[in-house]
Amino acid sequence: MRFLTQDPTLADFGHDPWWLILLKIVVAFIFGMSMILLGVWFERRVVARMAVRPGLNQVGPFGLLQTLADGIKGILKEDLLPRTADKVVFFFAPTVPAIFALTALSVIPFGPMVSIFGVQTPLQVTDVPVAVLVVLACSAMGIYGIVLGGWASGSTYPLLGGLRSSAQMISYEVAMGLSIVAVFMTAGTMSTSGIVAAQAGGSEASWSIFGWHPTVPSWYAILLIPSFLIFVVSAFGETNRAPFDLPEAETELVAGYMTEYSSIKFLLYLLSEYVAMVVMSSIIATMFLGGWRAPWPITAFWSGANSGWWPLLWFLAKVVLLLFIFVWVRATLPRLRYDQFMKLGWKVLLPVNLIWILLLGGLRVMQDEQFSGRNRWLIIGGAVVAVLLVALLWPARKAEPKTTLEEQMSARPSGSFPLPPLDLQVPPSPRAKRVVAERRPANVTASGAGSGQVADADTDADEKEV
Amino acid sequence: MNGFTIATPAQVLAIDVRLPDLDYAAMAPMLVLFGAACLGVLVDAFAPRQSRHTIQFALSFIALTVALLAVIREARVGSRELTADVALAIDGPTLFLQGTLAVLGIVALLLVGERALEKGGPFVSQAAIPVGSEADRRQAREEGATEVFPLTLFALSGMMLFVAANDLLTMFVALEVFSLPLYLLCALARRRRLVSQEAALKYFLLGAFASAFFIFGMALLYGFAGTVSFGGIHDAALLATTSPLLLFTGLAMVAVGLLFKIAAVPFHVWTPDVYQGAPTSVTAFMAACTKVAAFGGLLRVLYVAFDRARWDIEPVIGTIAILTMLVGAILAVTQTDIKRLLAYSSIANAGYLLVGALAFSKEGLSSAMFYLAAYGFTVIAAFAVITLVRDDDGEATHLSRWAGLGREAPLVAGVFTFLMLAFAGIPLTSGFTSKFAVFGAALGVGEAWPVALVIVGVVTSMILAFPYLRVVVMMWLSEPAEQSPTVAIPGAFTSAALMVGVLATLLLGVFPSPVLDLADRAAEFIR
Amino acid sequence: MSLSAYVPILALFALATAFTLFSVGISQIVGPKRYNRAKLEAYECGIEPSPEPVGGGRFPVKFYLTAMLFIIFDIEIIFLYPWAVTFADLGLFGFVEMLLFIGTVFIAYAYVWRRGGLDWD
Repeated sequence: MRFLTQDPTLADFGHDPWWLILLKIVVAFIFGMSMILLGVWFERRVVARMAVRPGLNQVGPFGLLQTLADGIKGILKEDLLPRTADKVVFFFAPTVPAIFALTALSVIPFGPMVSIFGVQTPLQVTDVPVAVLVVLACSAMGIYGIVLGGWASGSTYPLLGGLRSSAQMISYEVAMGLSIVAVFMTAGTMSTSGIVAAQAGGSEASWSIFGWHPTVPSWYAILLIPSFLIFVVSAFGETNRAPFDLPEAETELVAGYMTEYSSIKFLLYLLSEYVAMVVMSSIIATMFLGGWRAPWPITAFWSGANSGWWPLLWFLAKVVLLLFIFVWVRATLPRLRYDQFMKLGWKVLLPVNLIWILLLGGLRVMQDEQFSGRNRWLIIGGAVVAVLLVALLWPARKAEPKTTLEEQMSARPSGSFPLPPLDLQVPPSPRAKRVVAERRPANVTASGAGSGQVADADTDADEKEV
Repeated sequence: MNGFTIATPAQVLAIDVRLPDLDYAAMAPMLVLFGAACLGVLVDAFAPRQSRHTIQFALSFIALTVALLAVIREARVGSRELTADVALAIDGPTLFLQGTLAVLGIVALLLVGERALEKGGPFVSQAAIPVGSEADRRQAREEGATEVFPLTLFALSGMMLFVAANDLLTMFVALEVFSLPLYLLCALARRRRLVSQEAALKYFLLGAFASAFFIFGMALLYGFAGTVSFGGIHDAALLATTSPLLLFTGLAMVAVGLLFKIAAVPFHVWTPDVYQGAPTSVTAFMAACTKVAAFGGLLRVLYVAFDRARWDIEPVIGTIAILTMLVGAILAVTQTDIKRLLAYSSIANAGYLLVGALAFSKEGLSSAMFYLAAYGFTVIAAFAVITLVRDDDGEATHLSRWAGLGREAPLVAGVFTFLMLAFAGIPLTSGFTSKFAVFGAALGVGEAWPVALVIVGVVTSMILAFPYLRVVVMMWLSEPAEQSPTVAIPGAFTSAALMVGVLATLLLGVFPSPVLDLADRAAEFIR
Repeated sequence: MSLSAYVPILALFALATAFTLFSVGISQIVGPKRYNRAKLEAYECGIEPSPEPVGGGRFPVKFYLTAMLFIIFDIEIIFLYPWAVTFADLGLFGFVEMLLFIGTVFIAYAYVWRRGGLDWD
């Protein structure tokens, strides 16, 4: 692998003059804010098109200024402070997710080394050896804002929404944290620019198919596809986006943790959701889609695609593509039930992740250690046998014993409320004797079936009461 | 990396990985127990409910036996070495105490596995269910928790690691490994569940404090010596030119953590509540095995890391020993609950053990180790008797209920009388020989502090004889109370445990010399 | 690697904090204040809000369980990261050690699964 001169390394960071740092963070901040304005517009527009509606088209060209108008309107609205709320926490909680979502933008690599006012500097606010951990930490800190906001509202729905949200986010944080282990193993670094550099790739494989050495794909989205898929799924869970937007399931919890919020505080929660979405898209692009590097067909005929300011374009294109997927999924999939959602996180993503890590580690170790052919096959065979044994011996959950209606009826404790007829026949009105007389033959023929007898008994009882 | 040839920036940083040498034979006892405990967790997850108890008991019993054999093999070979990069010291005291732990563990396991005395055993499967609820009534008919077996094994593996740990870090890990299962075990009583959970919570909170002290002391000692290994601290104390403030503060804090575990005054307040609230078989396990492990660790810390600071620490720990003996003995007199009485007696015994430890001699070490083994057998047998005296609400532990027990069940009362006499230190019991050994070792040093400690020890022994003899008098000479408890017929497991405990108490009292010799030959730490 | 590379993270943090506090503050000033007792009640679908004990009351133990599981697995992940980064240098020994570690945690995971700790209802 060739390190090109424009590839920033960790040594290139931390030398910027103060005005450049200031410029970079302001630009990153503006990038975040404009992505919110555009992102909300984009989402509403795309969802509308998918529903064959025109969508936003009133304020500004193509309705572009709608979000800005909404924001200004939000500031001008009355800020309610519920009587039961914990005043201080209620006031500051909405700022927390927004602050940390914006902070995470500081380690996203937007491009290679460029020249800004004569200073050679990477197109990235900064990079540290634990940059990915900074992103994870920021996304974890955001949970505080949600759970504190829900708790501080002093109301039932926000409390439940906040709890659900925190349980959801920590569950998917586990899946997300595990899925990037494979990236670290392959890249050998946790710095974002290092991960982008490690995906430059394009080398030939040592193994061959009939003498042809294929080029190993360099994007981790292909190389580490299980990790990629798990990361994308958990990114949806981590940002509370559909189909995992359970904290705000309006049919169950009104608006979840945001129920008591109004005015700008409500908007701050919305804002943080969009920033988190942008950050997640950027991180996916960085860790799995080659970062700011141009995709393959472009590099094939244009060698300059990865230098200068062009990479910014590729990066933005990837981010917009991922945002489109976020929106597309929201427009397509229904919301999951909470138990299904937790089951997916803990019972599917987690074990698959661990097994995948071990598999990858085992393969890599075997390549490194130069086992002889026979030993290698022995080890692979042993591992396969072990996995098969576990899979076979893993006791399947016993099917719930099917109980008949009578059993269920008799299992009810005495003094329970009376049940309506279980075969959904409407009990005949006492005034309509004629109808009963007409229905009677149908019941007699069904008297062999259990439910028919129950219904029969009910109708009999009704008649006696009359 | 041939397939994915992706060079990485991190490869520029050459990392020198030094692999520690591991003597698997020497570590076998711990590894066997830990592996069996993990297997036990799997058994609990996958085996059908009705066969779990049998499988778990067999697994734990086999594991402990194998561990004991491994210790014996290692002792035969006569290995004296530091392994796992000086993290573990396999020497005489380690092997002696590990062997003691394995034997006492087997005996305690018999009590834990007993199910004849109560339907479903003395443990509850879901302790969190509110008492008196519908689910609780359903649970009363079900089998008890079988998680107790893996928990016991985890605790024992931690204890074995604790006595072998040769640096503070390993010691801390071992401390946690054996403490956490004990906290859980305390909370699992089927009867008097709230008392049991209260005991567990108290034990956990105070234990967490003690662990925090330990780890903070460890940080200070690291600041002083630049290493956490005992040998390193010893060398640093020898060569130190700087102020020893860090050394003494660190030692004091580490000592708090260890003295908490051995229940020395003023770190003893958890003991009566926990001993009373925990299921009796768990109390027996704690009283015997925790004491062995905690003293093993304390002895190693004092003898290996801090023997140079002996003159400075002797007054402090000596005062603690005197307080421990006095408080334990005097408060034992006032107790009306048999489990609390034994708790205070265990506190006083910690004081006698400290007397042996503070001799700072080979005899002191060997007598303390002998004391630990002898006391362990006696205390397990005593708690085994307590599990037998029952009424409708479970065990009848109030002393007044024991009145006149000698007429109802002369055999059980006789056995308990013998055990009480052993606690009181009457000749021909192990209590006498062990106290004699400890006090003799302290007198043999011939200095002021040990002699003072021995005087206090003899005086408190006389005080402590009173509550023991009161129980004996009550059992034989008092009229039975109106609703006297019944003495349950012990199952095979309890009978076996009782027999082993009583026989050991007798044999160590009559022919102590083989075990004394064994302890004497083992009594040498390596650094 | 000096600590100066961390400064921009703090700077962006400060900027974001300033922005959010500013926007929250400005809405306090420019927004209207029209007192209305009903408006300040907790929202509960229009019915009389249920009185809540001080401190938010009790909520299902499931959430605690999830939090505990999270801590266990998060710590596992924390151990995995340094291993993953230096994976190429640690070789077979590191892999076997990590295999044992993951295996041990997996035992606990299997236990929790079988005991219904991962079921939500």
